[in-house]
Amino acid sequence: MSKAMEGHASFQTDGRRASVVRHDVRAGFGMLTPAGIVILAVTIFPILYSVWMSFNNIQLTENGFQFTFNGIQNYVDVYSAPLFWHSVWFTVYYSIVTVAIELFLGLLIALAIQNVEKLKSVSVVVMLIPWSLITVISAEMWSYIYNGVYGVLNAILQGLGFIHSPINWTGEPVTAVIALMAADIWKTTPFVVIILLSGLQMIPKDYYEAARIDGANGWQIFWNVTFPQLRGSIAIAGLFRILQAFGIFDLPFVLTQGGPGSTTTSLAMLGEETLFTNLHFGLGAAVAVSTVILILGACLIFLSAFRGMVGEEAQ
Amino acid sequence: MRKPLYQRIIGYVVLIFFLVVILLPFYWMFVTSFEPNSDISAYPPAYFPHHWTLSHYEEAFGQFHFGRYILNSVIVSITSTFFVLLFGSMAGFAIARLPIKAKQPMLIFLLIISVFPPLVVITPLYMLLRDVGWLDSYQALVIPYTAFNLPFAIWILRNYFLQVPGALFEAAKMDGASVFMSYWRIFLPLTTPGLFTAAVFTFVACWTEFFMALVFNPDNTMRTIPVGIALFSGQYTVPYGTIFAGSVVSIVPIVILVVIFRRWIVSGLTQGAVKG
Repeated sequence: MSKAMEGHASFQTDGRRASVVRHDVRAGFGMLTPAGIVILAVTIFPILYSVWMSFNNIQLTENGFQFTFNGIQNYVDVYSAPLFWHSVWFTVYYSIVTVAIELFLGLLIALAIQNVEKLKSVSVVVMLIPWSLITVISAEMWSYIYNGVYGVLNAILQGLGFIHSPINWTGEPVTAVIALMAADIWKTTPFVVIILLSGLQMIPKDYYEAARIDGANGWQIFWNVTFPQLRGSIAIAGLFRILQAFGIFDLPFVLTQGGPGSTTTSLAMLGEETLFTNLHFGLGAAVAVSTVILILGACLIFLSAFRGMVGEEAQ
Repeated sequence: MRKPLYQRIIGYVVLIFFLVVILLPFYWMFVTSFEPNSDISAYPPAYFPHHWTLSHYEEAFGQFHFGRYILNSVIVSITSTFFVLLFGSMAGFAIARLPIKAKQPMLIFLLIISVFPPLVVITPLYMLLRDVGWLDSYQALVIPYTAFNLPFAIWILRNYFLQVPGALFEAAKMDGASVFMSYWRIFLPLTTPGLFTAAVFTFVACWTEFFMALVFNPDNTMRTIPVGIALFSGQYTVPYGTIFAGSVVSIVPIVILVVIFRRWIVSGLTQGAVKG
């Protein structure tokens, strides 16, 4: 084969090479086309269409959807509804609290796994099971555990003497939020663990060796070696989770139905309800567009807080 | 280098505590699916069931449609995964190996796309599917699932294609292989780990997706597992036994998949973390 290559190379001219390159470019765009069409049709077009919808009053009639342009009226209506601001507030504090706890627990568990060589592969498999679990199933599971009449959580807490009578976990505002957060943390912390564990394994062993020779104790090694080296992984895990948390829908849909009242109604749930229960498509589109802007804003804030660290990681 | 003893002991205690916390709810769901209704609603509950029964499994797959839900999920997830691998590998190859312009903007564009929540695309898609009469159909889910999982697959596969030496591509060209042939015959077989990773991630994402499946396919014969379970409720009480019986059966294949492909999942998460 090397002979053939030499032969070709010797009579190849610049003109021929240019035509080969042109041919490759055509082939390249040809190979991008199927993915490009699907992505444009299912993401770009609908996103732009949603923006257009949010400036229209949309009625579902016998002849299909009737659009009437009404400027920013949908946004005015949405922003003057207390329920919208309640959903924004709930989504924001819910996301911040759960992601912060997940990052803390994730780091703790990843460090524990790192210290226990024997259980490492078993642990990784156990961590991947909640990750692959259908959220709706986990919501049903927790709704049975939290049940106010025969839930096992009340039985355990009563048995340990923490509570005197059963608590209706999803029936009271404060406990409903805590119950929702706990179920979410249970399901998504393992994802954080896997990312942080990979980050831990990429830290060169010499760093620890050097720190130990310098006489650093475990705590000092953590703060001066492990944590700085891990900041990139923490930033990425946090970013992924914030994106997911801001769009939370499945878990409250099944576990609390957004209640009690509208305590646990997230933005995605409010949007879904406006669109498909109340059939207010224009208002729903305004909620959806506002949610996207909020998510992009949250990403920017989170990334700028971690900017230096992600930059380091990329090098 | 062995860790100090006290560190290992703390590691064991912390780790075992959390492993138990992660696994206990699964144990509870599993035993509940085998308990008669009287035991399911007993308080205080028995931590180890006294009576075992298969009646909930008979209900879930005889009287109710859990078999159909699982079949729908399998069809939708496998078809979507196939298209994601096919289109994603072609696009990933083009971005990694072909002299096209604007590669960096394309990759960043893909990243931004994957940030958008389903909420913002769901209504226009719903209207479109309604107009063409595709609500309650497999394509109603396969098409959006393919689109939403393509960005990650393209990123992952591009990274794998970059690891294959470029000289191979040049050599194949010299021997007269077309671009598509060298992609299909040389590059694709060399990037099977990347294909595994993209496949497992896509499959799990499709298997667990709820929002679009709920809105696009609410008909009882077209529900996927999450929709079937979420919309499944009895007249007076939640039929936990039946729900858990169906859930246990639908969890088993995924757990097997995860155990077999755990290496590729971890490498996918790591790649996503480092290069994504």
